Amino acid sequence: MKVRVVEIASNLMLKNDALAAKLRARFAESGTLVVNILSSPGSGKTTLLEETLRRLSGRYRAGALVGDQATENDALRLARSGAPVRQITTAAECRLDAGMISKALAQMEDQRFDVLFIENVGNLICPAEYDLGEDLRVVLLSVTEGEDKPLKYPLAFNTSQVVLVTKIDIAGAVGFDRAAAEQSIERVNPGVRVLEVSTRTGAGIDEWLALLEARIGAKALAPAR
Amino acid sequence: MHEITVALSLLDGVQATALEQGIERVSAVNVRVGALSGVVRDALLFSWDVASAETVAAGSELRIEEVPLVVFCERCEAQRAPLPGYGLVCPECGTPSPRIVSGREMQLVSMEVPA
Repeated sequence: MKVRVVEIASNLMLKNDALAAKLRARFAESGTLVVNILSSPGSGKTTLLEETLRRLSGRYRAGALVGDQATENDALRLARSGAPVRQITTAAECRLDAGMISKALAQMEDQRFDVLFIENVGNLICPAEYDLGEDLRVVLLSVTEGEDKPLKYPLAFNTSQVVLVTKIDIAGAVGFDRAAAEQSIERVNPGVRVLEVSTRTGAGIDEWLALLEARIGAKALAPAR
Repeated sequence: MHEITVALSLLDGVQATALEQGIERVSAVNVRVGALSGVVRDALLFSWDVASAETVAAGSELRIEEVPLVVFCERCEAQRAPLPGYGLVCPECGTPSPRIVSGREMQLVSMEVPA
């Protein structure tokens, strides 16, 4: 069979990246700091966000979008903080994309936030590929997961600006090897900011909030407005 | 994990091009997929067959070129291919090299149509 080759040369991420750029421009305009939170299932994203929203409430206009393949459980948990929260149920999709973020935002009554948290679907593979227009990508590594997660999922750790080592209160009990974890992180993103936190004991939470507040302040003052 | 989404995006591109150029049948599609993209070859092939059924690309062959992970090592001042499972580390000198040169690709390159 004789064939003819038709060139297409398109990048599959172009559509998402274009939408993410629009979101980024919009968040620059509103001075909203956007934080995209990635981790494996069960690393403590929702618990961390509950605590974060609680601590920021009254001082900042904070909102959250939360992605899951099924259920609204996480949004219900986060809504208890009093912050506006919207669940994005992705069904077959294993990650959030920029289109889902635009759509969910359009459905929120109040859209002017100082800080908007996006809790991605629990998964370290697909979410790493998708720009959501965020300023800050944060990846969680819980002490129960194994110190080599960064080596198994290099892109998620490579593209993040902050690594939170969660559940640090039980590090001893589960035999967490801090040096090995640090080495794994260093191998995919040398010099990245690493904070050890525990929502149960409050360890590291002040540092995490200080980091966020500095970024929220900087974003609000950014000349892009 | 996201192969069906990838397959549907590929199909979008193929259908748009076919419509634009009045192509009625596509026999093969060439794509490039990076080692870091998290796409599993067999799952993508399976997803392609499902997604393309009853479309202009029904029964077409999906040809996947796998693009290896390459980083830039600042110490060697050269492009290097890290060993799988050891992170983004230069295999020659051991320096962590977070600058990714290739390996994130998800590209629809071309398609073949019966002449």
